[in-house]
Amino acid sequence: MRSPAAERRRPTPWDAVVALAVVAFAVVLIFLLRPTQGSAVTAVITLDGETVAQYRLDQLDQPETLTLNEAPYPLTIAIEPGRICIDHSECPSQDCVHTGWISRSGQQIICLPNRLVISLSGSEAEEFDAVTG
Amino acid sequence: MKRFLPFLLSIVLLAGCTPQKSADQPAQVQFFAMDTLMSIRVYNEGGEDAVQAARQEVERLDKLLSRTDADSAISALNSHAGDGTMVSLEPEVTQLLAFAKSVSQLLPGDFDITIAPVMDAWGFTTEERHVPSEEALSAAMELVDSSLLTVDETASAARLEQAGMEVDLGAVAKGFTAAQAEAVLREQGATSALLDLGGNVTAIGSKLDGSAWQVAVKDPQDTGEALCVLSLIDQTASTSGGYERYFEENGVTYHHIIDPKTGYPADSGLQSVTVISSNHMLADALSTALFVAGPEEALEFWRSRDDFELVLCTEDNRVIVTEGLEAGYRPAGEDRGYTYEIARR
Amino acid sequence: MSGSLRRLTRSAVLTALALALSVAEGLVPLTILFPLPGLRLGLANLVTVYALCRLSGREALLILVARCLLGSLLGGNLMALAFSLTGGLLALAVMALALRLPGLSLFGVSIAGAAAHNTGQILAAMVVLGTRAPLVYLPPLLLCSLVTGAVTGGASILLVHRVPFSGRT
Repeated sequence: MRSPAAERRRPTPWDAVVALAVVAFAVVLIFLLRPTQGSAVTAVITLDGETVAQYRLDQLDQPETLTLNEAPYPLTIAIEPGRICIDHSECPSQDCVHTGWISRSGQQIICLPNRLVISLSGSEAEEFDAVTG
Repeated sequence: MKRFLPFLLSIVLLAGCTPQKSADQPAQVQFFAMDTLMSIRVYNEGGEDAVQAARQEVERLDKLLSRTDADSAISALNSHAGDGTMVSLEPEVTQLLAFAKSVSQLLPGDFDITIAPVMDAWGFTTEERHVPSEEALSAAMELVDSSLLTVDETASAARLEQAGMEVDLGAVAKGFTAAQAEAVLREQGATSALLDLGGNVTAIGSKLDGSAWQVAVKDPQDTGEALCVLSLIDQTASTSGGYERYFEENGVTYHHIIDPKTGYPADSGLQSVTVISSNHMLADALSTALFVAGPEEALEFWRSRDDFELVLCTEDNRVIVTEGLEAGYRPAGEDRGYTYEIARR
Repeated sequence: MSGSLRRLTRSAVLTALALALSVAEGLVPLTILFPLPGLRLGLANLVTVYALCRLSGREALLILVARCLLGSLLGGNLMALAFSLTGGLLALAVMALALRLPGLSLFGVSIAGAAAHNTGQILAAMVVLGTRAPLVYLPPLLLCSLVTGAVTGGASILLVHRVPFSGRT
């Protein structure tokens, strides 16, 4: 195959066009893959299977706290725009407090002694089908 | 025209990008059993009955295998410890006991279902967690020896030879339950389902579109993030790590996986072990045993067998993935400082 | 030497060279500097460029396929084969087209090839893993391909001019 490109020794302006096209392609992809802002994230708090509270984390403006004195081991849940955690719990294990903040669809905080689950669900498809560990 | 090839390509890719929201949500249930949170999801149409049947099976086994339920088969076995009675048990319970004993023999010193008195001494079972006194710990360690658990599979009976000994099936019950629940699900016609028994994930079949389930392994240091993502079909991924249940005392962190050799939390250089196997019971038992064993012994054991694969997360933030997983796994923690390597036979 | 024998020998030598280059590049993984899965310099692409410029598209294809197959025997696996083959074929196709354009130099051709290689790899990963998650790696890989493509482009200019193949068959 005879090609003019094979004979050139210096870059040409058209090379820059190719490079720009690659950059444009990358930028378009970044734009398309960016996490969509303002997507719905709902936190559902269940105590022994009963839903006790529900929050739209994405629509919250002010930090809030929720105290569940009716739980076997009373606990306080901190809710902030976009995230939620168990701030304090009377439970012996403290595993739920150790979990810290969660903010993404599919994440969970579990307090076994209380049989309490805080789970986040959202409009966005979850990245995984399940989590081990 | 041809110089617009990248643009053409981007259009092709864009077509692949449109978010696909699966129209059919799975039938699912979430409940507490075996001292953990479980969820069962069936993706086949009309899977509600299968989900309920599987939940009943899990709850039946929970009643049978629980050490804290005074009416369970295991409580019966424990209460007769040392009095010489062969306790008649359901065939599935003797099968499970025999399996647990066989794992103790395969990995001597790394696994023992008679560790229960030591777990109690640490308060990991029910009460407040605390560091036990030397006397309490050595007294409890005297009672740990699964060779003193006699199992007669033909008569379906078992006996603990020494008074005070206790069996706790926590390290094998979930894997066994996964296998039993899978059988129930399949009987009900389910071919595409996910069981999450407290972080032991069992993939039944594949997704409805035939692709593999994407199962994330938790980052031990940041449990909201993934360490890596595995592709599973008809396999269980079972993880053991010191980060799951722990407590601090005088600035020292103590976790709940006790080394049967020392009576103290295992300190083998691992942050977590994930075992992937189509033998659900094996995956569950090995994740605990190999966490205690440590990275070298775990890999050596892996090389001696061909029925499971491993993801090891070491204390120095190396993630060792065995070669059988290479094709379907994807690292996810490079930005958090993890380095990834493939272990070969 | 007869024409066909000469062609065979030449292809064999170039395949061996491509293999050696990809092994050599594996010894100095760029991913240590920059933790991005799939990132590499793409030295084996040099051989593809050379074969396209100085031999024929058919031989370039042959060398590429042979290199990928042998490479997977040497130390890869089926997964790596799927990635390198998809990436390599897409890069070959794109570069063959780019070489026919009047205005480009080998810099542009190599950059297009490197970008196409990364795109092919990611497409293969998406198909094999059955998820579009690997797509997030593509934009940074594409930006890196500007650099790696320019480096291999510069090298291929030297190669194509220093090692002219005269006896066209």
